[in-house]
Amino acid sequence: MNAERELIDLDAPLAADFHPVIRLIIGGIAERVDFAFEEIDDLQLAVERLLAEAGRRETVHLRFEVAEEAIRARVGPLDEQAIAAALRDGDARPGQLTLERILTTVVDSFGVENAVDGGVVVRLEKRKAYL
Amino acid sequence: MSPAHHRSSSPSQARREDRELLRRYHDDGDTSAREELIERHLPLVRSLARRYSGRGESLEDIEQVGAIGLIKAIDRFELSRDVSLATYATPNVVGEIKRHFRDKGWAIRVPRALQELNASMSGAIERLTGRLGRSPSIAEIAEELKTTPEEVLEAMEVGSAYSTVSLSTGPSGEEELDPLETIGEEDEGFERSEDRVSLEPAFERLHEREREILRMRFEEGLPQTQIAQAVGLSQMHVSRLIRKSLAEMREELT
Repeated sequence: MNAERELIDLDAPLAADFHPVIRLIIGGIAERVDFAFEEIDDLQLAVERLLAEAGRRETVHLRFEVAEEAIRARVGPLDEQAIAAALRDGDARPGQLTLERILTTVVDSFGVENAVDGGVVVRLEKRKAYL
Repeated sequence: MSPAHHRSSSPSQARREDRELLRRYHDDGDTSAREELIERHLPLVRSLARRYSGRGESLEDIEQVGAIGLIKAIDRFELSRDVSLATYATPNVVGEIKRHFRDKGWAIRVPRALQELNASMSGAIERLTGRLGRSPSIAEIAEELKTTPEEVLEAMEVGSAYSTVSLSTGPSGEEELDPLETIGEEDEGFERSEDRVSLEPAFERLHEREREILRMRFEEGLPQTQIAQAVGLSQMHVSRLIRKSLAEMREELT
């Protein structure tokens, strides 16, 4: 893998029928950087849970940046209120699973940015565990 | 008593022996009696599991799932019941196997070659994880199965599908109720959970097994490989259950 960024951009319908297609694409991208089965599964789960929180939107843009030892994903625009509510972990009861808890477990880092045309974009980074 | 000995005894004698073992387990807390009961009834599990073979899942995996139903039946058996353990256990074993297929989403039609590849992937991942001491890459799984990474990814996706469609009917679309399966008790845990739909938070409505898996993954932070070992399921199955449980919980909130 060279040091240059490799980008894959995808506009996809948010309908659940297309989630397997998105999972398959993530799997294909992650395979190129030799992610382990479990790491691919984690990244797929993170994106899938974000799509579930997208709010009332019809399409979503996904950008994957392939680095030497990591994949960075940008998912959005997503509904700001829906994502804010899903990420609010402060008052979570024991045993309650928030999106924040899920993302903290399955990716190495994540963050939220304002999208240009409204809504928010969620950034995810998943690094290879076994180098 | 060995399973071979069990097979050589008459049905009525076997039933008496079962009851004595159940009494020792439930009244005296004798766990060796429980283990003996499991061994004695594994042939029943194998027999029931064979009915569900050829659906893209290895017989060994189906037997493993069926054995969970057997153990539940042994643990829930009430000595006051005038019913044999075999009769009582049958619907529990079948229920566990059906739930397994329902979790896997085999209600969705997929090409047989992909089903077969998916079925062999589970074992390949376990073997490679043991051999490498880590989760294998897609390329490593493909090499193990003498196929391409693309086919492995596709088979992964086939296996990761889940559906809430009932599998009381099989892939053939025909009702597959066996008269024997209607005898005995329903799977109590499952029924109870169905009844609690609007009463408890989404997390509480999941089956105990799913709650435990989510707790291990998201509270303890354990990797899927360790969870799979702890609960006696394949890593792929654990992955599916996590996704399915999270999706169900999310739906509950909408």
